[in-house]
Amino acid sequence: MRVFQLQRISAVALVVFLTIHMVVVHYPPFHIDFSRILERLADPLWKGIDITFLFFVLIHALAGTYAVLTDYESIAKFKRPIAGLAILLGLIAFTWGALTIWSFQPPV
Amino acid sequence: MYKTPGFISFALRRITGIALVLYLFMHIWVIGSAVGGAETFNERLNLFQQPAFKVAEVFLLAAVVWHAFDGIRLLIVSQFKVTDTRASQFYAVLVLAALVTIAGGVPILLFMLNGG
Repeated sequence: MRVFQLQRISAVALVVFLTIHMVVVHYPPFHIDFSRILERLADPLWKGIDITFLFFVLIHALAGTYAVLTDYESIAKFKRPIAGLAILLGLIAFTWGALTIWSFQPPV
Repeated sequence: MYKTPGFISFALRRITGIALVLYLFMHIWVIGSAVGGAETFNERLNLFQQPAFKVAEVFLLAAVVWHAFDGIRLLIVSQFKVTDTRASQFYAVLVLAALVTIAGGVPILLFMLNGG
């Protein structure tokens, strides 16, 4: 799959997830604190939504950064190492983020 | 060339994209601190709840909205080959993004002015 295809698929998913995120988590504006996180992450459905959101947002952000960087001729010759770095960074961030969300338990 | 809607759209998409990537990692840094417990999370989040950051949130909203709407426009243009109305589409995205930013930004500013 090409980078621009990854960008498009993740973009369509993000329109949906970001709209849900903004409407549910940020509007109407209210004071956000730890109790709000507890409330939302107590629901496994929200955990699933947040992990999927993280997956698409990381793909879109990293593929976008890759595309911007490799558009410069001087950087384009390092396409492969940059792609490798982006994949590695994505895997680490997703694993850490997904495990954090999934294993999150309210402190006793 | 540098004043055409196509170039402005391209430049704005890149600028907002880079800004959003930087914001994303900062956002993950704040939200990820929830595993450290209430004190760590609230302390880190409070750094970003000052009035200056509320104003910055409106700019963030503008960046997200622009990036999303212009991305949808780009998708329509290239997927369905709707190329003859590109300039009008650009202005439509501009107006739509401005309207959504106002609709979403005003509640943020009112919340800030009410001491939120």
